Amino acid sequence: MTIQGAFTILMYALAPFLWLIVAGVVVLVAVQLIARLRGYRTLGYRCLGANLAALLVGLSGLWWIPAFTNSRLGYVATAFDWVAMIGAVIGLAIAAWLVLHPLSYLVRGKRQA
Amino acid sequence: MSRVPFSTPRLDRRQLLKLGVGAGAASLLPLSGLQARTLSTSARIVILGGGAAGMAMANRLSNRLDGARITIVEPRETHHYQPGWTLVASGVWRPEKTMRPNANFVPSGVTWVRQPAVGIDAEQRRVSLADASVLEYDYLVVATGLQLNYHLIDGMSPDLVGTHGIGSVYASIEGATRTRDAIDAWIASGGGKGIFTAAPTPVKCAGAPLKMTFTTLSRLEDTGRRDDFQVDYMSPGAGLFSQPWINDFVKQRFDDQGVNRRHHYRLSAIDPGARQAEFTFVGPDSEFTSHHELREAEFSQEGERRVIADYDFIHVVPPMSAPDFVRESDLIARDGPFRGEWLDVDIHTMQHNRYPEVFGIGDVIGAPINKTAASVKAQAPVVEANLLAQMQSQPLPARHNGYTSCPMITGIGKAMLVEFGYDNNFDFLPSFPFIDPRDESWAAWVMKDRMLQPAYYAVLEGQA
Repeated sequence: MTIQGAFTILMYALAPFLWLIVAGVVVLVAVQLIARLRGYRTLGYRCLGANLAALLVGLSGLWWIPAFTNSRLGYVATAFDWVAMIGAVIGLAIAAWLVLHPLSYLVRGKRQA
Repeated sequence: MSRVPFSTPRLDRRQLLKLGVGAGAASLLPLSGLQARTLSTSARIVILGGGAAGMAMANRLSNRLDGARITIVEPRETHHYQPGWTLVASGVWRPEKTMRPNANFVPSGVTWVRQPAVGIDAEQRRVSLADASVLEYDYLVVATGLQLNYHLIDGMSPDLVGTHGIGSVYASIEGATRTRDAIDAWIASGGGKGIFTAAPTPVKCAGAPLKMTFTTLSRLEDTGRRDDFQVDYMSPGAGLFSQPWINDFVKQRFDDQGVNRRHHYRLSAIDPGARQAEFTFVGPDSEFTSHHELREAEFSQEGERRVIADYDFIHVVPPMSAPDFVRESDLIARDGPFRGEWLDVDIHTMQHNRYPEVFGIGDVIGAPINKTAASVKAQAPVVEANLLAQMQSQPLPARHNGYTSCPMITGIGKAMLVEFGYDNNFDFLPSFPFIDPRDESWAAWVMKDRMLQPAYYAVLEGQA
């Protein structure tokens, strides 16, 4: 398969969710940008609540990622299934953290500083 | 004859995105890797059928040929993603998800004739159309798909699907939707007997009858009242699936899930009002591939043992063959297991065995396996390379290894990615070293549910 073919497949696969992906990226970039303009630094701010919330969002993927694919966690069975699922959960947790951590700074971190 | 209007230079969102991403990727590639060599020709090429195979060939040939007059004959305006019909009939997908306009896939520069073909004169190199017009060709690609022969089951008609407890995922997208409704009604009734059948001929997506059984079992088990439902599977042959390991697996799984298997019976008649089906014993030697012998010896109605079975739901799989106008043409197989029923091609080169300017691809060809969209993906580059070689009077360089794939759904939410080919008794040909075709997995299901449809459209566009 050519690279163009791979991109064609990717575009067809992502097309139904393009609005969601764009909305997610916009929220992430907006929160990061606003927080940084107000003094937020990734490693300079600590918030256990945001960390735990991001972890919970990631772990929630164990339920809704299979449901999103019309399946259930009980069918995640092979080693590759688990690698894919754990990768998705980690990715989800990181994405959530990149939003929740600066958001927490905007809501309460700046007051505490 | 009608022609697709040439598209304006305006790009839609999808094309624009692909162009942008593709341009980025293109900058990373050496030029030789991007451009396959084109051939200048004024040859008239007719492609019969605009399904997966026909559309893939239209795109591939229009990319590779400069100056060729390519015509695709396809009466339907809507392209159906048929591999999704099992998911529709199982209540997982909405039917709209499987439909797109054919106009999205017909390449510019290719003439689209919106007429059904009704005849082929291979000697004169002519195709007759329903409006009495004629297309002359120098090269012909037969990609008509196949014909559903519901009429070979007495009392059965595709119009009955969705009524009287009758389902049939093959009938059409409307039929798949009505099959879903019929299964819903059976489950809502709280019990009774369901019969799942298979056909005594090669069929497209040979796993579909099994998938329908497995997904229905999933739904029955989810009711918590599985024991109130009886599930029978009636098979005309000793086997349930071509690939031996999967065949054994499915048999064992059916036994484990309480499916009553009966072999060597074909569905011969149906009485919708009485909800009764008649099955005819076809003998212990019958197998899927002995299609012609089955027609001669077993479609006869005399002296056969018959069983009448009551049902509350029945899933009907009709006998299948090449379309009548192909069967009545010079292109049909004259001997061997596919004689009188399927296109006579070399299953490796895809070239017709008697007419070298004719190639076949997809469901219509006489081959022991290979009536899947995945097979089209593997066959299309072979037909492209060999047709171009034939046009240049060169030896045919490409060979099809029989690759086919069936994401065997073993329950709603899990599947096995079964890929195999002709060699070594249909040995596995896995595409991904990290996915074992013998394992039921969520990843294989996700591929079926999310990734194979995009891959299918890429095949249509000649990109995969």
